[in-house]
Order: sequence, then structure tokens, then C-alpha cells
Amino acid sequence: MRNKLDMKSLKEEFLEILSNYQGILHKVNIIYFRNTSDREDNFQEIIYQLWKSFPRLQNKNSIGSWIYAVSINTSISKIKKESRIEYREKLPESIDKIDIIEELSLNEASQMLLKAIYNLNEIDKPIMLLYLEEKSYEEIAEIIGISKSNVGVRINRAKELLKQNLNHLNHGN
Amino acid sequence: METNELQNIWKNIDSEISLKTTEELNQLLTIKTRKTINKFLFIFIIDVIVCVGLIVFLILTALNRQSDIIYLINNSILCLITLTALIISLLSINKLQNNKYNLSLKDWLEQRIKLLSRWLLGKYSKFYIVLIPILLVMINLSIHVYFEYRPFLEVMKNGESIYGLTIGFLIGLFVSYFAISKIRKYQIRNLEFLKGLYSHLDNMH
Repeated sequence: MRNKLDMKSLKEEFLEILSNYQGILHKVNIIYFRNTSDREDNFQEIIYQLWKSFPRLQNKNSIGSWIYAVSINTSISKIKKESRIEYREKLPESIDKIDIIEELSLNEASQMLLKAIYNLNEIDKPIMLLYLEEKSYEEIAEIIGISKSNVGVRINRAKELLKQNLNHLNHGN
Repeated sequence: METNELQNIWKNIDSEISLKTTEELNQLLTIKTRKTINKFLFIFIIDVIVCVGLIVFLILTALNRQSDIIYLINNSILCLITLTALIISLLSINKLQNNKYNLSLKDWLEQRIKLLSRWLLGKYSKFYIVLIPILLVMINLSIHVYFEYRPFLEVMKNGESIYGLTIGFLIGLFVSYFAISKIRKYQIRNLEFLKGLYSHLDNMH
């Protein structure tokens, strides 16, 4: 059993890491949830799940991968619980209101990209996010749990779908 | 649109995100931890109160009816089943709390699918169909016979009692099956969703 002092220093260390890497949580949240309250709930849930698994984190060199993995898994778990989003390729027209676009006051190109990402399925979304974040194939393979060679195939497919979605949205405007 | 262009647009989104202070993060963690512990305690307390309450009732009523062997057997079996159910439910709650998220997406999906499949489609997953009617009959009998202030066999010979017990049994059975089927449907939908994601991840060659 950890004593109070250990616990305090562990929490401080955790909060410092979380503070430095919180951008990951926000970005995973953005690609999965369209409305603010869902994102806030999920943000809290991810922090909690990270805190729970923090004592078991052995490789402190792969903190980013750990945060991505926990954030993606927690988000999918929330989607599953709420059963609001089904697993399917969606048509670009299905996009309605996205709170984050107003919150971040994004330019048109960013809005289009975000809408196109929302139209990807729940597996292609994180792959595309990691790709846009310029993560190496090795890191993507580690976070998603597939082989490095598959990462390439998967990225190409997701990119293709993303471009199709973007074209569709462009022609719709 | 070129790849680099997409990555640059994404950087624009990234730069617009407003970050939280360490104090805010700490507050969020504290609130969530408290909420989760309270939720866990609530489920734990309800579970214990219902099961222990039933066990206490069964023991007390059995002590008051020491001469009625059939009544004693009925209550003893019920006690044993309730105790087993309490242990299993506490172990399940604990297992749910220890859901590991720090795995790769594929491993995490695999773990969740295995767990849900065992609960929903495993060897004992349909056991409730048999167990619920048996338990309902036994609980109904235990309560009814006790408050009739007559021996077990005598109550069973009374037509009015049988009629009341049957009605009570049928209502209880309908409510229990309805509730369980709702929960199972929801969980099966979850399982299918996870399986869909997993197969998508698996068939990407």
C-alpha cells in the first residue's frame, strides 16, 4: 500500500505529465465527439482512466503512446455505452451541428477537414489523427495494435476516404 | 488536397485548442474520482443491502419455524443461492472496475469482446432462464408461508394460496424477464459494435 507521501508525489508527477500532454486528450475528444458536454464528460473519464493506469506505466519513454491508447479506448467505450454512433462509413451529408467549430472559430479549411474526419468510421478516425499528428508508423502500430506494414495500407485507405469526403463537402458548398 | 496541406490545416486546429491549467486538471481528476467511488459504493451498498437483507429474513423466519422441515429446506437453499449471487456480483463489480484501457486499441477490443462474450454467450449465460423461476417460486413460498402462520404443506393445500402465489409468480417472472432481456439486448448491441470495430481492424490487409 502506498503511503500518503508517495501518493502525493505520484499525483504531482501525473499532473505534470498530463499538463504537458493534455493536447492529445483534446484532439482525440475533438475527433470523436461533436458536442461540448460529451467532450467534457469524456475528457474527465480519460483523465481518470489515465490516473488509474499511471502506476502501471513502465516505459516512461512512450508516454505519448500510452496517452493516445487510453484516450482512444476510453472514447470508443463512451461511444459504445451511449450507442449514439454506429459503426459504419457515413455519408458526408450526415454532418449537422459541430460545437467545436464555433468554439475554436476555425477557418473554412479547418472546418472542412474536421467535418471530413467526422465522416470516417471509428477505426479510421484515430489512424487519421495519428497520421495528421505526424506519428511514425511504429508509434501508430503500437497504439492501434497492428503491424507496421498494415499501418501503411490503413493510412492510404483512410486518406483516400478523407479526400473523398473533402471533395464531397467541397462540391456540396 | 496534398498530404502536407492536410497536416498544416490540422496544425491550425491544434493551435486553436485552449489548454487547461494544472489546477483545473487536478480539480477534474478529484471530481471524477469522487464520482466514480460514489457510484461504486452506491452499487456495492444496494447489492449488499438486498442480499444480506434477504439472508437475514430467511434466517429469522427459519428460526421461527424450526419444526417445519420443508420450510427450513426451502430457506436454506435460498440462503445458499443468495450468498453465491452476492459473491459473484461483488467479483463482477470488481472486474468491471478493473477494466484496463492502457492497451493497444486491438488488444483492448479483444479484451472487451472476450469479457462480454463470456457474460452474454458463455456456457452459463442462459442459466438465468431456469434460475429466475425457481428463485421466484422459492422466495414467494418463503414469504407467503411465513405470513400465513401455518405449516408449509398445509398452505400448499389451500387453493386460495396457490392462486395468489401463481399470480405473484407470473408478475414477478414477467418483470424479471423483461428487465433482463432489456439489459441483454443493450449489451449484445455493444458486443456487436465492438466486434464490428475489431473485424474492421482485423480485415485490413
